[in-house]
Amino acid sequence: MQIPLTYEQTPRTRPTRFGERRIDYRRQWRARARLSNTLVALMWASAIIAAALTLPAATMSEPPTIGTVITNLGIFVGLIGTDLILIMLVLAARIPVVDRAVGHDRAIAVHRSMGKPALYLLLAHAALLLVGYGASQGINPIAEIGWMWSIPDMPLAFAGLGGIIAVVVTSVVSMRKRFSYEGWHLIHLLSYVAVLVAVPHQLSLGNILAEGTFARAYWISLYILAFGAVLVYRFIEPIVASLRHRIVVDRVETHGPGVASIYLRGHNLDALEASGGQYFVWRFWSARTWWHAHPISLSAHPTSDSARITVRSVGEGSRNIATLPRGTRVSIEGPYGIFTQRGRTAPNLAIVAAGIGVTPVRAMLQQADIRPGEATVILRASTKHDTALWDETKEIAAQKGATVYTMVGPRSSRGPRWISDSDARRGVTLTSAFPQLATSDLYVCGPAKWIDSVVEEAAASGLAAHQIHTERFEW
Amino acid sequence: MVKTRSAMTAAFASLAAVLVGWQFSVAAFAPHTPQAASAGKIADQSNTSDDPIAPTTSTPKSPAPNAATTSKFRDGTGTGQSVNTPFGVVQVKVIVASGSISNVVPIRLTDVGDQSVQIDNYAVPILHGEVLQSQSAHVSGVSGATYTSEAYLGSLQSALDQLAK
Repeated sequence: MQIPLTYEQTPRTRPTRFGERRIDYRRQWRARARLSNTLVALMWASAIIAAALTLPAATMSEPPTIGTVITNLGIFVGLIGTDLILIMLVLAARIPVVDRAVGHDRAIAVHRSMGKPALYLLLAHAALLLVGYGASQGINPIAEIGWMWSIPDMPLAFAGLGGIIAVVVTSVVSMRKRFSYEGWHLIHLLSYVAVLVAVPHQLSLGNILAEGTFARAYWISLYILAFGAVLVYRFIEPIVASLRHRIVVDRVETHGPGVASIYLRGHNLDALEASGGQYFVWRFWSARTWWHAHPISLSAHPTSDSARITVRSVGEGSRNIATLPRGTRVSIEGPYGIFTQRGRTAPNLAIVAAGIGVTPVRAMLQQADIRPGEATVILRASTKHDTALWDETKEIAAQKGATVYTMVGPRSSRGPRWISDSDARRGVTLTSAFPQLATSDLYVCGPAKWIDSVVEEAAASGLAAHQIHTERFEW
Repeated sequence: MVKTRSAMTAAFASLAAVLVGWQFSVAAFAPHTPQAASAGKIADQSNTSDDPIAPTTSTPKSPAPNAATTSKFRDGTGTGQSVNTPFGVVQVKVIVASGSISNVVPIRLTDVGDQSVQIDNYAVPILHGEVLQSQSAHVSGVSGATYTSEAYLGSLQSALDQLAK
């Protein structure tokens, strides 16, 4: 789903020459790792505190009966499940500090991994409470549903659970494919509503969140933070930034079959502080394209009043983008991603880009502060029609003393799948192309399967996970 | 040339700090007895629940025999915490005279759903009788009225705690 986007920007810092003081990437990595560990610790802490706050109430009911034990267990899993849901909201909120620490892609991967556990906990919550209340009242759990339905706030809570089920089910990989992105996203937005309608029953039923307790203050605070972050970073900030920078399409330039650069004009674009390699989520306000937002990397570092993205037309949406009329209004969300210098962890740089995946690489190289010999780039294409931006990239590389290899041709049938057949025959491997790989950050950008093949070889050669950076372009 | 994102973050962080701080100070300073804010509701509900509860507000027969000598309570009136149940909030007031529990007055009782009032009408007099007899909140609940029983006795216990010597 990612289209590379490229934009042109004057490097903020003068390229440093050999021997000048440079960024210590290992230190930069340690700082980022600390930040990311802190965020993970906060996630755990939120759940542990939530669990701890249920304990006093769980031990309160004096002679524990089967019913109260089951009920208390149900409340416990419900609160943990709710905490997971709130963490998921935070991870999807595109909070700058999260993006800076682990990158939005990684945050979304974690978000995805939590969906099913959260749903199971909430289903267990509902089931345990029906059984527990039923046992206390001496009626069966199914009949208990009728009882619960008559309690205020409970019909809303049931609706919330239904919403969460719909959201998770439509996001399961096999189901996800049956929906268009927009349809799926619309259902996904339901989760905000589903979580909110479940709040009243939390506050009005059960003593754990009774008025005037710390537990209540804690939970209200979690809701404020999660929903506040979503509201601010997913809605308000993009709207304000779009209004402020007033970006419009300036012209569209075709590079070759299906590949086009879109030049954009705007105001104060440098205040966005986008780094080379980052992407924005773009929405082009023309009749045919407004409903689809595209994540596209900059293909050049932006100046104060211009930016550039480069797309390859694969889907219908991107074909429509390539024919956008001049003056089309553009709204943005971003910049996002750490496929940038900021993501670096090691002194050398190894870059592999396939097809249109060259765009963030080109933008990153342009802004990169590298000494001669530090960076090696492999550009990969199936045919010579897929070599858009290669000339620009080579030129930038030459200026900065980076080595560029190119590989054109069909993919190899044996050996490493990511290189061309002719190079595979010559015995080229990742480590032969990048002799300094062990002390390098490997940046890989291209189609998902191709990336997997590169990453597999890198991991097999012993490269640490934090040294591997990927940006997937599905179309 | 302020970065939009930084400005937003600053605004959000400040607002969140205020709201979170507010929530926690409410929790820190809130008395764990009934909230002043709900006083109106309490008065209102005690009126409406007068009818079904009428027997419980009548003067009790006689204090427990040995109460005066071994009493654990000082004389006065204690108002219990309000206890949430799925069927509404329950709160009681206890009156201790001559060292013994002389009356328990419901302030709020469950009122949600078709059967709540009916169940309360049946259960509360039983609970009331048992409490006066045992002179404590440690009595068995009324079956079929688990929530009312637990909440009633829970609120009563917190009221008695206030009057503990």
